Amino acid sequence: MTLDFSIFVEYGPHLLMGFWLTIKIVIAAIILGMPWGLVLALGRRSRFLIPRLAATSFVEIFRNTPFIIQVFLFYYVLPFYGIRFPAEYVGTLALAAFGSAYFAEIIRGGIDAVSKGQLESARAIGMSDWQAMKNIVLPQTLSIILPPLTNQTLSLIKESAILSTITVHELTMSGMRVQGEIFRPFEVFIMVALLYWGLNETIAILMRKLEKWSKKGRTSNQDSAETLKKGDVVR
Amino acid sequence: MKFDLSYTIDALPRLLEGATVTVQVALLAFAFSITLGTIIVLTRTTLNWRILNGIIAIYISFIRGTPLMIQIFLVYYVLPVTGLNLGAFTSGILAITLNSAAFVSEILRGGLTSVPKGQFEAAKSLGVSGFALWGRVILPQTFIASIPPLVNEFTQVLKATALLSIITVVELLRVSQQIYSSNYHPVEILSGAFIIYFLLCFFVSRGSVMLENHWRVRRA
Repeated sequence: MTLDFSIFVEYGPHLLMGFWLTIKIVIAAIILGMPWGLVLALGRRSRFLIPRLAATSFVEIFRNTPFIIQVFLFYYVLPFYGIRFPAEYVGTLALAAFGSAYFAEIIRGGIDAVSKGQLESARAIGMSDWQAMKNIVLPQTLSIILPPLTNQTLSLIKESAILSTITVHELTMSGMRVQGEIFRPFEVFIMVALLYWGLNETIAILMRKLEKWSKKGRTSNQDSAETLKKGDVVR
Repeated sequence: MKFDLSYTIDALPRLLEGATVTVQVALLAFAFSITLGTIIVLTRTTLNWRILNGIIAIYISFIRGTPLMIQIFLVYYVLPVTGLNLGAFTSGILAITLNSAAFVSEILRGGLTSVPKGQFEAAKSLGVSGFALWGRVILPQTFIASIPPLVNEFTQVLKATALLSIITVVELLRVSQQIYSSNYHPVEILSGAFIIYFLLCFFVSRGSVMLENHWRVRRA
């Protein structure tokens, strides 16, 4: 087997077009999925049974089934009820729904990590539940959940490859098309893999920098927890 | 159109047959990936060769940075070009094994750090070394500490097997595709498969707690 990477002069632009669509789909899925994930996380913590039950089952169902079958179900169920979208939109919607279940768990974990006293003291000085959540708890949650949110974003980029099965013309699909034309699987799929890999590594490095920067000049949550414990001992 | 449950019920026996293949593939791939993952962790910690460690680091980064679907394609389409014809079932298991082993080795590396250093020192002072040190003292504790993430990884493998339908492995998803391509009722059939996947993963992840209680480490 001889390797021939010169084909990318001809087919490179085609792959890059797919790459661009992958990026657009993932960004759209995050924009849709993150707020919905927040709603689900708050729903799971709700005092009322029905929102709690609904949010919990949504999250558990999407986390415990393969993404590929979720994509197929979206692709076939929406037209079943007379809703017709192009495949790109259906795929983005499926990716957003899938991502939101994981975002919800991450956000919920972040909210739980903020010490309970914060919420209680906010309530004690007369804030409403929602005010305490919005002004006190959620801002502190943000710095805790940044690393897992990054991981989830990387995972969404990888999962978006599955959208090629419902004819969304993203990076993997472009790779398959090119491979179908020139029958050089190694060169094509390695090129596709390198594009995904490069994107993921770039985001990972950028987010690590952001994390470091956001921690600068501020005591982290663990530190304040430590001081609290020490204070207890002194008292 | 109306949702007609009778199609789901009619398809159920064949779907369950597909589900047994799914479970088989997942168990095989996971067994191999645990083996490979353990070997990777052991070479990383005991041999500690710089070049080998570099290769392992690149392998893990590649697996974590690229979609599983591309990895499956690489194994399925590229190996025949080099003259190695494995067939869909074997190359599917190989692809999932290679993928999962990277994650398993990271999990075990985390589990290894939770084993107290005193365990190494105590074993050495008793003259226990080599195979006995790792096989009898360190690895059992590593695995027990890693039960929750390992169970989670098994559900990931279970879900990953659905991707093998693309390379014509006849597992649960492929079976349902075969059924609905002949009766044109994708929604009913896929819902059935969806529920089977959900039950499988849900009970596996709930089983984690039972395993943990069964293998609790009693430490003075």
